[in-house]
Amino acid sequence: MSTKSKEKVQMDPAYIIKLTVTLFVTCVVVAAALGGVNAITEETIDRINWNKTVEAMKKVIPEAADFSDPLELSDTMTAAAASMGGTLDSVYEAQDANGEGIDCYALKVVTSGSQGKIEMMVGVDAEGTVTGVSIVKNSETSGIGSKVMTNMPTAAGIGVLSQFEGKSAADGTLTVGANVDAISGATVSTRGVTNGVNAALAVAGVLG
Amino acid sequence: MNFGKQLKEGLITQNPVLVQVLGMCSTMAITTSIMNGLGMGVSVLIILTASNVVISAIRKIVPDKIRIAMFIVVIAGFVTCVDLLFQAFVPAIAESLGVFIPLIVVNCIILGRAESFSYKNGVGASFVDGICQGLGYTAVLLVMCFIRELLGAGTLAGFRIIPEQFPVGILTLPVGGFLVLGCLIAAMQWALSKSKEGK
Repeated sequence: MSTKSKEKVQMDPAYIIKLTVTLFVTCVVVAAALGGVNAITEETIDRINWNKTVEAMKKVIPEAADFSDPLELSDTMTAAAASMGGTLDSVYEAQDANGEGIDCYALKVVTSGSQGKIEMMVGVDAEGTVTGVSIVKNSETSGIGSKVMTNMPTAAGIGVLSQFEGKSAADGTLTVGANVDAISGATVSTRGVTNGVNAALAVAGVLG
Repeated sequence: MNFGKQLKEGLITQNPVLVQVLGMCSTMAITTSIMNGLGMGVSVLIILTASNVVISAIRKIVPDKIRIAMFIVVIAGFVTCVDLLFQAFVPAIAESLGVFIPLIVVNCIILGRAESFSYKNGVGASFVDGICQGLGYTAVLLVMCFIRELLGAGTLAGFRIIPEQFPVGILTLPVGGFLVLGCLIAAMQWALSKSKEGK
């Protein structure tokens, strides 16, 4: 301690300028290099992400041939998702082979799992019935919560994600233990997914 | 430059994880499957080697007072490059490692080697050091992954070895990480002290 407080602070302006300039130049060089790498990879990454999104959407709405660009989110839609404990990320309308909208929507919602956020895609058809649920991104515990993410069967014998197919707003709010079966040991993860489906149904209700 | 000696240091006597006890967070978090361990090990190896070389090359012009800031800028640059390249060209690994790739920036193995080795040694030696320390890190990750994936999930690289009802699920949790790592460090220290007595 005593040696430290005695150390003379160097206030020589030339030295301080040298420090600043060195650091600044380094940052500029690194930033330029990053810009270069970004330029090379940006397009590929965007394409991969869009392909992944389309793949996830096709899983939940099998009859769709293509999908619209993301719809504009209204305040009522985000509020509807929030009231069910989910965050609405984006909404896409399914299209048939001619590019006509078929009134089915793929909703990407984000909810909380046991280890962090779960990003999931929920397909809802014109009648407001869930056509499918798939997980886009999660960080659930490998071997436990991940069982929910990979649609392992529950005690009832149906895949934990598949059990949501056919549910609609008419079933009321979905609740683990009441009308949703959890994977044993992964209740929190199942609950997270259930909240996501509830949020998607609420948004679909707003969409009409 | 003595490759054999540096390799022995990286793998055994100065192993970054088991002896220097650096980079614990990533070691604990990602060692739940062999593929994760391999991906993480290789990315750290690449970043460590690259940043070691650059830091060693610029060590004479880096003012002492701001060296840590300079190191971090260089390391963060390489990490971001690797992150972007992984996302673009090996999306499967990028997805399974997720946030742990960007977090390599704060992996103390890399800053530790920058400060204790490449800032004081030539480019060639730093290059070798990066590879050896990276191999040491990767080796420990693979051992941890092997134990945790085989006994915790009953699989190896995704293939089922032990039927589903037997594995000890707790090994894939953070608790299991601490247990396995603790045992490995103890075994390593025991072996090192044994070989010292032998001399």
